Amino acid sequence: MSDVKIAPDGLEVARTLDAKGLSCPMPLLRTKKEIEKINSGEILEILGTDPGSRNDIPGWCARAGHEYLGEKEADGYICFYVRKK
Amino acid sequence: MSSFAGKIKEVYSDFFKKTWSPMTGGILLALLAIFMFAWQRPWGIVGGIRNWADWLFYSIGLFDLDEPPAHPLYYSSSVMDLGLLAGAWISAVIAREFAFRVPPMLEIYKGAIAGILMGFGATLAYGCNVGGFYSAIQNLSANGFTMMIGLIIGVVIGLKYIYWEMEHFMPGPAGPTFLSKLPPILGFIAFAGLIYAAYAYAGSDVDDAELMPGYLLIGAGIGFVFHRSRLCMVNGFREPFMTGEAAMGKAVAISVILGTFGIAIMKFMELRAEELYVVPAFWWGSLVGGIIFGAAMVVAGGCGSGSLWRVAEGQVKLWVVIITFALSNSLFRYWFEENDWMEKLGKPVFLPDYIGYGGSIFLVIVAMLIWYIIIDWNEESNKLVLEI
Repeated sequence: MSDVKIAPDGLEVARTLDAKGLSCPMPLLRTKKEIEKINSGEILEILGTDPGSRNDIPGWCARAGHEYLGEKEADGYICFYVRKK
Repeated sequence: MSSFAGKIKEVYSDFFKKTWSPMTGGILLALLAIFMFAWQRPWGIVGGIRNWADWLFYSIGLFDLDEPPAHPLYYSSSVMDLGLLAGAWISAVIAREFAFRVPPMLEIYKGAIAGILMGFGATLAYGCNVGGFYSAIQNLSANGFTMMIGLIIGVVIGLKYIYWEMEHFMPGPAGPTFLSKLPPILGFIAFAGLIYAAYAYAGSDVDDAELMPGYLLIGAGIGFVFHRSRLCMVNGFREPFMTGEAAMGKAVAISVILGTFGIAIMKFMELRAEELYVVPAFWWGSLVGGIIFGAAMVVAGGCGSGSLWRVAEGQVKLWVVIITFALSNSLFRYWFEENDWMEKLGKPVFLPDYIGYGGSIFLVIVAMLIWYIIIDWNEESNKLVLEI
Protein backbone atom coordinates (compact mmCIF):
# COMPACT_ATOMS: atom_id res chain seq x y z
CA MET A 1 0.00 0.00 0.00
CA SER A 2 1.80 3.02 -1.27
CA ASP A 3 1.75 6.52 0.17
CA VAL A 4 1.50 9.50 -2.11
CA LYS A 5 4.76 11.44 -2.16
CA ILE A 6 4.38 15.20 -2.38
CA ALA A 7 6.99 17.05 -4.41
CA PRO A 8 8.97 19.88 -2.77
CA ASP A 9 8.28 23.49 -3.78
CA GLY A 10 10.43 25.52 -6.16
CA LEU A 11 11.71 22.76 -8.42
CA GLU A 12 13.49 23.97 -11.52
CA VAL A 13 11.86 22.13 -14.40
CA ALA A 14 13.87 21.55 -17.59
CA ARG A 15 11.01 20.18 -19.67
CA THR A 16 7.27 19.57 -19.35
CA LEU A 17 5.33 16.70 -20.89
CA ASP A 18 1.61 17.22 -21.28
CA ALA A 19 0.04 13.76 -20.93
CA LYS A 20 -3.36 15.02 -19.80
CA GLY A 21 -6.25 12.89 -21.00
CA LEU A 22 -3.97 9.99 -21.89
CA SER A 23 -4.61 6.64 -20.26
CA CYS A 24 -2.40 3.70 -19.46
CA PRO A 25 0.17 2.96 -20.91
CA MET A 26 0.62 6.18 -22.90
CA PRO A 27 1.67 8.56 -20.06
CA LEU A 28 4.52 6.26 -19.05
CA LEU A 29 5.61 5.54 -22.63
CA ARG A 30 5.66 9.25 -23.47
CA THR A 31 7.59 9.88 -20.25
CA LYS A 32 10.16 7.24 -21.21
CA LYS A 33 10.60 8.96 -24.56
CA GLU A 34 10.59 12.52 -23.22
CA ILE A 35 13.26 11.92 -20.58
CA GLU A 36 15.71 11.18 -23.39
CA LYS A 37 15.48 14.87 -24.32
CA ILE A 38 16.89 16.25 -21.04
CA ASN A 39 20.31 15.99 -19.44
CA SER A 40 21.34 14.01 -16.43
CA GLY A 41 20.34 15.80 -13.21
CA GLU A 42 17.63 17.87 -14.91
CA ILE A 43 13.97 17.58 -13.97
CA LEU A 44 11.09 16.43 -16.17
CA GLU A 45 7.59 17.52 -15.22
CA ILE A 46 4.70 15.32 -16.37
CA LEU A 47 1.11 16.58 -16.36
CA GLY A 48 -1.42 13.77 -16.27
CA THR A 49 -4.97 12.82 -15.39
CA ASP A 50 -4.64 9.03 -15.11
CA PRO A 51 -4.56 7.92 -11.45
CA GLY A 52 -2.61 4.85 -12.64
CA SER A 53 0.39 7.11 -13.21
CA ARG A 54 0.68 7.39 -9.41
CA ASN A 55 1.95 3.80 -9.46
CA ASP A 56 3.48 3.63 -12.91
CA ILE A 57 5.80 6.63 -12.77
CA PRO A 58 7.41 5.99 -9.33
CA GLY A 59 7.65 2.27 -10.14
CA TRP A 60 9.38 2.96 -13.42
CA CYS A 61 11.75 5.48 -11.79
CA ALA A 62 12.81 2.88 -9.23
CA ARG A 63 13.51 0.40 -12.01
CA ALA A 64 15.21 2.79 -14.41
CA GLY A 65 17.27 4.53 -11.71
CA HIS A 66 15.73 8.00 -12.03
CA GLU A 67 14.85 9.91 -8.88
CA TYR A 68 11.10 10.27 -8.30
CA LEU A 69 10.63 13.63 -6.60
CA GLY A 70 6.88 13.38 -6.01
CA GLU A 71 3.61 14.81 -7.26
CA LYS A 72 1.52 17.92 -6.86
CA GLU A 73 -2.23 18.29 -7.29
CA ALA A 74 -3.18 20.97 -9.76
CA ASP A 75 -6.67 21.96 -10.81
CA GLY A 76 -8.04 18.84 -12.53
CA TYR A 77 -4.71 17.14 -13.11
CA ILE A 78 -1.59 15.91 -11.34
CA CYS A 79 2.02 17.08 -11.88
CA PHE A 80 4.75 14.47 -11.44
CA TYR A 81 8.45 15.32 -11.09
CA VAL A 82 11.35 13.10 -12.11
CA ARG A 83 15.07 13.89 -11.89
CA LYS A 84 17.00 12.11 -14.63
CA LYS A 85 19.83 9.88 -13.46
CA MET B 1 -8.34 8.87 22.53
CA SER B 2 -6.60 10.91 19.89
CA SER B 3 -4.32 8.02 18.94
CA PHE B 4 -7.35 5.74 18.62
CA ALA B 5 -8.99 8.23 16.27
CA GLY B 6 -5.69 8.43 14.44
CA LYS B 7 -5.71 4.68 14.08
CA ILE B 8 -9.20 4.70 12.60
CA LYS B 9 -8.06 7.30 10.11
CA GLU B 10 -5.03 5.20 9.21
CA VAL B 11 -7.10 2.05 8.68
CA TYR B 12 -9.62 4.01 6.60
CA SER B 13 -6.77 5.29 4.47
CA ASP B 14 -5.29 1.79 4.06
CA PHE B 15 -8.61 0.35 2.92
CA PHE B 16 -10.11 3.13 0.89
CA LYS B 17 -7.42 5.55 -0.27
CA LYS B 18 -4.07 3.88 -0.74
CA THR B 19 -3.60 1.58 -3.69
CA TRP B 20 -3.42 -2.09 -2.69
CA SER B 21 -0.55 -4.12 -4.03
CA PRO B 22 -1.19 -6.14 -7.21
CA MET B 23 -0.68 -9.38 -5.26
CA THR B 24 -3.35 -8.39 -2.72
CA GLY B 25 -5.68 -7.74 -5.64
CA GLY B 26 -4.78 -11.01 -7.38
CA ILE B 27 -5.39 -13.11 -4.26
CA LEU B 28 -8.69 -11.41 -3.48
CA LEU B 29 -9.80 -11.73 -7.10
CA ALA B 30 -9.17 -15.49 -6.99
CA LEU B 31 -11.22 -15.72 -3.80
CA LEU B 32 -14.11 -13.81 -5.36
CA ALA B 33 -13.94 -15.88 -8.57
CA ILE B 34 -14.31 -18.97 -6.35
CA PHE B 35 -17.23 -17.34 -4.49
CA MET B 36 -18.93 -16.61 -7.81
CA PHE B 37 -18.48 -20.21 -8.93
CA ALA B 38 -19.72 -21.50 -5.58
CA TRP B 39 -22.70 -19.19 -5.85
CA GLN B 40 -23.73 -20.50 -9.25
CA ARG B 41 -21.50 -20.00 -12.28
CA PRO B 42 -18.03 -18.97 -13.47
CA TRP B 43 -17.13 -15.30 -13.49
CA GLY B 44 -17.16 -13.69 -16.95
CA ILE B 45 -17.30 -10.25 -18.53
CA VAL B 46 -18.12 -10.30 -22.21
CA GLY B 47 -21.45 -12.14 -21.97
CA GLY B 48 -22.88 -9.22 -20.04
CA ILE B 49 -21.76 -6.40 -22.27
CA ARG B 50 -22.79 -8.42 -25.35
CA ASN B 51 -26.23 -8.79 -23.79
CA TRP B 52 -26.54 -4.98 -23.63
CA ALA B 53 -25.73 -4.70 -27.35
CA ASP B 54 -27.95 -7.69 -28.27
CA TRP B 55 -30.76 -5.92 -26.57
CA LEU B 56 -30.12 -2.74 -28.55
CA PHE B 57 -29.91 -4.55 -31.91
CA TYR B 58 -33.03 -6.56 -31.12
CA SER B 59 -34.95 -3.39 -30.17
CA ILE B 60 -34.15 -1.69 -33.47
CA GLY B 61 -35.13 -4.83 -35.37
CA LEU B 62 -31.69 -5.77 -36.67
CA PHE B 63 -31.59 -9.17 -35.00
CA ASP B 64 -34.14 -11.73 -36.09
CA LEU B 65 -34.46 -13.86 -32.95
CA ASP B 66 -37.16 -16.28 -31.86
CA GLU B 67 -37.38 -14.61 -28.49
CA PRO B 68 -35.93 -11.36 -27.15
CA PRO B 69 -32.49 -11.43 -25.48
CA ALA B 70 -32.52 -11.78 -21.70
CA HIS B 71 -33.34 -8.58 -19.85
CA PRO B 72 -30.08 -6.91 -18.74
CA LEU B 73 -31.37 -6.53 -15.20
CA TYR B 74 -32.23 -10.23 -14.91
CA TYR B 75 -29.36 -11.87 -16.78
CA SER B 76 -26.49 -13.29 -14.74
CA SER B 77 -23.60 -12.04 -16.93
CA SER B 78 -25.08 -8.58 -17.18
CA VAL B 79 -25.77 -8.32 -13.45
CA MET B 80 -22.16 -9.38 -12.70
CA ASP B 81 -20.91 -6.58 -14.95
CA LEU B 82 -23.28 -4.03 -13.43
CA GLY B 83 -22.01 -5.11 -10.02
CA LEU B 84 -18.40 -4.71 -11.20
CA LEU B 85 -19.13 -1.20 -12.46
CA ALA B 86 -20.80 -0.28 -9.17
CA GLY B 87 -18.01 -1.71 -7.03
CA ALA B 88 -15.29 0.03 -9.02
CA TRP B 89 -17.22 3.31 -8.99
CA ILE B 90 -17.65 3.12 -5.23
CA SER B 91 -13.90 2.57 -4.82
CA ALA B 92 -13.05 5.42 -7.19
CA VAL B 93 -15.39 7.93 -5.57
CA ILE B 94 -14.28 7.12 -2.03
CA ALA B 95 -10.61 7.42 -3.04
CA ARG B 96 -11.40 10.72 -4.85
CA GLU B 97 -10.11 9.21 -8.08
CA PHE B 98 -13.32 9.47 -10.08
CA ALA B 99 -13.49 12.09 -12.83
CA PHE B 100 -14.68 12.15 -16.39
CA ARG B 101 -11.45 12.43 -18.36
CA VAL B 102 -11.88 13.27 -22.01
CA PRO B 103 -8.82 12.17 -24.02
CA PRO B 104 -7.40 13.65 -27.24
CA MET B 105 -9.25 12.63 -30.42
CA LEU B 106 -6.49 10.21 -31.44
CA GLU B 107 -7.19 8.19 -28.32
CA ILE B 108 -10.92 8.14 -29.08
CA TYR B 109 -10.27 6.71 -32.56
CA LYS B 110 -7.85 4.15 -31.14
CA GLY B 111 -10.38 3.13 -28.52
CA ALA B 112 -13.12 2.69 -31.13
CA ILE B 113 -11.02 0.51 -33.43
CA ALA B 114 -9.48 -1.48 -30.58
CA GLY B 115 -12.95 -2.16 -29.18
CA ILE B 116 -14.14 -3.52 -32.53
CA LEU B 117 -11.12 -5.85 -32.71
CA MET B 118 -11.62 -6.95 -29.11
CA GLY B 119 -15.20 -7.85 -29.98
CA PHE B 120 -14.03 -9.96 -32.90
CA GLY B 121 -11.21 -11.62 -30.90
CA ALA B 122 -13.57 -12.41 -28.04
CA THR B 123 -15.98 -14.02 -30.51
CA LEU B 124 -13.28 -16.38 -31.80
CA ALA B 125 -12.02 -17.17 -28.30
CA TYR B 126 -15.49 -17.56 -26.75
CA GLY B 127 -14.67 -14.87 -24.24
CA CYS B 128 -12.37 -11.99 -23.38
CA ASN B 129 -9.31 -12.33 -21.17
CA VAL B 130 -11.64 -13.39 -18.34
CA GLY B 131 -13.96 -16.03 -19.85
CA GLY B 132 -11.45 -17.05 -22.50
CA PHE B 133 -8.29 -17.11 -20.37
CA TYR B 134 -8.61 -16.49 -16.62
CA SER B 135 -11.83 -18.37 -15.90
CA ALA B 136 -11.21 -20.88 -18.71
CA ILE B 137 -7.96 -22.09 -17.15
CA GLN B 138 -9.53 -22.18 -13.69
CA ASN B 139 -12.29 -24.32 -15.21
CA LEU B 140 -9.59 -26.66 -16.58
CA SER B 141 -10.52 -25.97 -20.17
CA ALA B 142 -7.65 -26.27 -22.66
CA ASN B 143 -8.66 -23.20 -24.65
CA GLY B 144 -7.55 -21.02 -21.71
CA PHE B 145 -3.94 -21.99 -22.33
CA THR B 146 -4.07 -21.40 -26.08
CA MET B 147 -5.67 -18.01 -25.48
CA MET B 148 -2.87 -17.17 -23.04
CA ILE B 149 -0.29 -17.92 -25.74
CA GLY B 150 -2.33 -15.83 -28.18
CA LEU B 151 -2.55 -12.94 -25.71
CA ILE B 152 1.23 -12.90 -25.22
CA ILE B 153 1.83 -12.82 -28.99
CA GLY B 154 -0.88 -10.19 -29.42
CA VAL B 155 0.50 -7.95 -26.69
CA VAL B 156 3.88 -7.80 -28.44
CA ILE B 157 2.16 -6.86 -31.71
CA GLY B 158 0.08 -4.20 -29.95
CA LEU B 159 3.13 -2.75 -28.25
CA LYS B 160 5.03 -2.56 -31.55
CA TYR B 161 2.10 -0.66 -33.00
CA ILE B 162 2.08 1.81 -30.10
CA TYR B 163 5.84 2.41 -30.48
CA TRP B 164 5.32 3.06 -34.19
CA GLU B 165 2.43 5.39 -33.45
CA MET B 166 4.53 7.42 -30.98
CA GLU B 167 7.08 8.08 -33.71
CA HIS B 168 4.47 9.26 -36.20
CA PHE B 169 1.60 10.87 -34.30
CA MET B 170 1.15 13.40 -31.54
CA PRO B 171 -2.05 12.97 -29.56
CA GLY B 172 -3.20 16.60 -29.73
CA PRO B 173 -4.91 18.48 -26.92
CA ALA B 174 -6.91 16.61 -24.31
CA GLY B 175 -10.55 17.32 -23.67
CA PRO B 176 -11.82 18.56 -20.32
CA THR B 177 -11.77 16.75 -17.00
CA PHE B 178 -14.91 17.23 -14.98
CA LEU B 179 -16.88 15.97 -11.98
CA SER B 180 -13.58 15.35 -10.24
CA LYS B 181 -14.77 16.60 -6.87
CA LEU B 182 -17.54 14.16 -6.02
CA PRO B 183 -17.73 13.80 -2.23
CA PRO B 184 -16.63 10.37 -0.97
CA ILE B 185 -19.87 10.00 0.98
CA LEU B 186 -21.56 9.26 -2.37
CA GLY B 187 -19.60 6.02 -2.49
CA PHE B 188 -21.01 4.91 0.84
CA ILE B 189 -24.52 5.91 -0.24
CA ALA B 190 -24.06 3.83 -3.42
CA PHE B 191 -22.94 0.91 -1.27
CA ALA B 192 -26.18 1.17 0.70
CA GLY B 193 -28.00 1.30 -2.65
CA LEU B 194 -26.30 -1.94 -3.71
CA ILE B 195 -27.46 -3.68 -0.55
CA TYR B 196 -30.97 -2.35 -1.16
CA ALA B 197 -30.87 -3.63 -4.78
CA ALA B 198 -29.75 -7.06 -3.57
CA TYR B 199 -32.72 -7.29 -1.23
CA ALA B 200 -35.05 -6.00 -3.93
CA TYR B 201 -33.84 -8.76 -6.28
CA ALA B 202 -34.28 -11.40 -3.61
CA GLY B 203 -37.84 -10.29 -2.95
CA SER B 204 -38.88 -10.04 -6.61
CA ASP B 205 -40.64 -12.79 -8.56
CA VAL B 206 -38.48 -12.83 -11.72
CA ASP B 207 -36.81 -16.10 -12.77
CA ASP B 208 -33.72 -16.86 -10.71
CA ALA B 209 -34.45 -13.84 -8.50
CA GLU B 210 -32.70 -15.53 -5.61
CA LEU B 211 -29.47 -15.78 -7.63
CA MET B 212 -29.25 -12.12 -8.66
CA PRO B 213 -28.04 -10.72 -5.30
CA GLY B 214 -24.95 -12.95 -5.49
CA TYR B 215 -24.09 -11.90 -9.04
CA LEU B 216 -24.54 -8.28 -8.06
CA LEU B 217 -22.66 -8.26 -4.77
CA ILE B 218 -19.81 -10.62 -5.71
CA GLY B 219 -19.50 -8.69 -8.97
CA ALA B 220 -19.29 -5.48 -6.93
CA GLY B 221 -16.62 -7.04 -4.75
CA ILE B 222 -14.63 -7.90 -7.86
CA GLY B 223 -14.99 -4.33 -9.15
CA PHE B 224 -13.93 -2.90 -5.80
CA VAL B 225 -10.86 -5.14 -5.61
CA PHE B 226 -9.92 -4.36 -9.20
CA HIS B 227 -10.03 -0.64 -8.63
CA ARG B 228 -8.38 -0.66 -5.20
CA SER B 229 -5.42 -2.65 -6.52
CA ARG B 230 -5.58 -1.31 -10.10
CA LEU B 231 -5.27 -4.96 -11.08
CA CYS B 232 -4.92 -5.05 -14.82
CA MET B 233 -4.34 -8.11 -16.95
CA VAL B 234 -3.17 -5.96 -19.87
CA ASN B 235 -0.51 -4.58 -17.59
CA GLY B 236 0.36 -8.12 -16.45
CA PHE B 237 0.99 -9.27 -20.01
CA ARG B 238 2.37 -6.01 -21.42
CA GLU B 239 4.76 -4.72 -18.77
CA PRO B 240 7.32 -7.55 -19.11
CA PHE B 241 7.78 -6.40 -22.71
CA MET B 242 7.48 -2.65 -22.03
CA THR B 243 9.30 -1.81 -18.79
CA GLY B 244 10.22 -5.25 -17.43
CA GLU B 245 8.00 -4.70 -14.38
CA ALA B 246 6.56 -8.07 -13.34
CA ALA B 247 4.46 -7.37 -10.23
CA MET B 248 1.13 -7.41 -12.05
CA GLY B 249 1.98 -10.43 -14.20
CA LYS B 250 3.04 -12.40 -11.13
CA ALA B 251 -0.17 -11.44 -9.34
CA VAL B 252 -2.25 -12.68 -12.29
CA ALA B 253 -0.31 -15.98 -12.39
CA ILE B 254 -0.84 -16.61 -8.67
CA SER B 255 -4.48 -15.59 -8.95
CA VAL B 256 -5.07 -18.14 -11.72
CA ILE B 257 -3.51 -20.92 -9.63
CA LEU B 258 -5.46 -20.07 -6.46
CA GLY B 259 -8.76 -19.84 -8.29
CA THR B 260 -8.08 -23.16 -10.01
CA PHE B 261 -7.91 -24.96 -6.67
CA GLY B 262 -11.33 -23.75 -5.59
CA ILE B 263 -13.06 -24.31 -8.89
CA ALA B 264 -11.44 -27.69 -9.56
CA ILE B 265 -12.60 -28.90 -6.14
CA MET B 266 -16.20 -28.01 -6.94
CA LYS B 267 -16.04 -29.70 -10.33
CA PHE B 268 -14.31 -32.77 -8.95
CA MET B 269 -16.88 -33.15 -6.18
CA GLU B 270 -19.60 -32.78 -8.81
CA LEU B 271 -21.01 -29.74 -7.07
CA ARG B 272 -20.89 -27.99 -10.45
CA ALA B 273 -21.15 -29.32 -13.99
CA GLU B 274 -17.76 -30.24 -15.44
CA GLU B 275 -18.64 -28.78 -18.83
CA LEU B 276 -19.04 -25.25 -17.44
CA TYR B 277 -16.84 -22.91 -19.53
CA VAL B 278 -15.50 -25.81 -21.61
CA VAL B 279 -16.14 -24.36 -25.06
CA PRO B 280 -15.29 -25.52 -28.60
CA ALA B 281 -12.40 -23.08 -29.03
CA PHE B 282 -9.39 -25.36 -28.69
CA TRP B 283 -7.14 -24.62 -30.26
CA TRP B 284 -7.31 -22.26 -33.15
CA GLY B 285 -10.28 -20.08 -32.15
CA SER B 286 -8.74 -19.29 -28.79
CA LEU B 287 -5.24 -18.83 -30.22
CA VAL B 288 -6.22 -16.50 -33.08
CA GLY B 289 -8.84 -14.78 -30.93
CA GLY B 290 -6.18 -14.32 -28.24
CA ILE B 291 -3.74 -12.73 -30.66
CA ILE B 292 -6.34 -10.26 -31.96
CA PHE B 293 -7.71 -9.53 -28.50
CA GLY B 294 -4.20 -9.20 -27.03
CA ALA B 295 -3.03 -6.69 -29.62
CA ALA B 296 -6.24 -4.69 -29.35
CA MET B 297 -6.31 -4.57 -25.55
CA VAL B 298 -2.87 -2.91 -25.50
CA VAL B 299 -4.08 -0.20 -27.88
CA ALA B 300 -7.31 0.13 -25.87
CA GLY B 301 -5.44 0.36 -22.57
CA GLY B 302 -7.79 -2.13 -20.98
CA CYS B 303 -8.93 -5.74 -21.37
CA GLY B 304 -12.47 -6.93 -20.70
CA SER B 305 -12.26 -6.42 -16.95
CA GLY B 306 -9.76 -3.54 -17.04
CA SER B 307 -11.83 -1.51 -19.48
CA LEU B 308 -14.92 -1.97 -17.35
CA TRP B 309 -13.39 -0.75 -14.10
CA ARG B 310 -11.83 2.21 -15.94
CA VAL B 311 -15.28 3.05 -17.28
CA ALA B 312 -16.37 3.27 -13.65
CA GLU B 313 -13.42 5.58 -12.96
CA GLY B 314 -14.67 7.95 -15.66
CA GLN B 315 -12.07 7.36 -18.39
CA VAL B 316 -13.92 8.35 -21.54
CA LYS B 317 -11.57 6.46 -23.85
CA LEU B 318 -12.59 3.22 -22.16
CA TRP B 319 -16.25 4.16 -22.51
CA VAL B 320 -15.63 4.20 -26.26
CA VAL B 321 -13.80 0.87 -26.02
CA ILE B 322 -16.59 -0.85 -24.09
CA ILE B 323 -19.28 0.50 -26.45
CA THR B 324 -17.59 -0.65 -29.67
CA PHE B 325 -16.46 -3.88 -27.98
CA ALA B 326 -20.05 -4.69 -27.03
CA LEU B 327 -21.51 -3.75 -30.43
CA SER B 328 -18.89 -5.64 -32.39
CA ASN B 329 -19.03 -8.74 -30.18
CA SER B 330 -22.81 -8.84 -30.46
CA LEU B 331 -22.74 -8.49 -34.26
CA PHE B 332 -19.96 -11.03 -34.82
CA ARG B 333 -21.51 -13.53 -32.47
CA TYR B 334 -24.89 -13.17 -34.18
CA TRP B 335 -23.31 -13.52 -37.61
CA PHE B 336 -21.26 -16.56 -36.56
CA GLU B 337 -24.27 -18.23 -35.00
CA GLU B 338 -26.41 -17.61 -38.10
CA ASN B 339 -23.78 -19.52 -40.09
CA ASP B 340 -23.13 -22.20 -37.46
CA TRP B 341 -19.51 -21.08 -37.23
CA MET B 342 -19.37 -21.03 -33.42
CA GLU B 343 -19.03 -24.81 -33.48
CA LYS B 344 -16.15 -24.67 -35.94
CA LEU B 345 -13.68 -22.69 -33.86
CA GLY B 346 -12.12 -25.79 -32.37
CA LYS B 347 -12.89 -28.62 -30.00
CA PRO B 348 -14.13 -28.48 -26.41
CA VAL B 349 -11.30 -29.98 -24.37
CA PHE B 350 -11.85 -30.58 -20.66
CA LEU B 351 -8.35 -31.38 -19.45
CA PRO B 352 -9.29 -33.91 -16.72
CA ASP B 353 -10.81 -36.11 -19.45
CA TYR B 354 -7.29 -36.51 -20.81
CA ILE B 355 -4.88 -36.16 -17.89
CA GLY B 356 -7.12 -36.43 -14.82
CA TYR B 357 -7.82 -33.73 -12.21
CA GLY B 358 -4.41 -34.12 -10.59
CA GLY B 359 -2.64 -33.82 -13.91
CA SER B 360 -4.74 -30.81 -14.91
CA ILE B 361 -4.07 -28.89 -11.71
CA PHE B 362 -0.40 -29.78 -12.00
CA LEU B 363 -0.39 -28.43 -15.56
CA VAL B 364 -1.97 -25.13 -14.44
CA ILE B 365 0.61 -24.73 -11.68
CA VAL B 366 3.54 -25.57 -13.95
CA ALA B 367 2.36 -23.29 -16.77
CA MET B 368 1.75 -20.34 -14.42
CA LEU B 369 5.03 -20.86 -12.57
CA ILE B 370 6.96 -20.97 -15.85
CA TRP B 371 5.39 -17.64 -16.82
CA TYR B 372 6.06 -16.32 -13.29
CA ILE B 373 9.72 -17.33 -13.39
CA ILE B 374 10.27 -15.99 -16.91
CA ILE B 375 8.88 -12.54 -16.09
CA ASP B 376 10.64 -12.48 -12.73
CA TRP B 377 13.95 -13.30 -14.41
CA ASN B 378 13.19 -10.70 -17.07
CA GLU B 379 12.56 -8.08 -14.38
CA GLU B 380 16.26 -8.24 -13.57
CA SER B 381 17.68 -9.06 -16.98
CA ASN B 382 15.27 -7.02 -19.19
CA LYS B 383 15.85 -9.57 -21.94
CA LEU B 384 12.26 -9.42 -23.18
CA VAL B 385 11.91 -5.62 -23.06
CA LEU B 386 11.29 -4.02 -26.44
CA GLU B 387 13.09 -0.69 -26.70
CA ILE B 388 11.25 2.32 -28.12
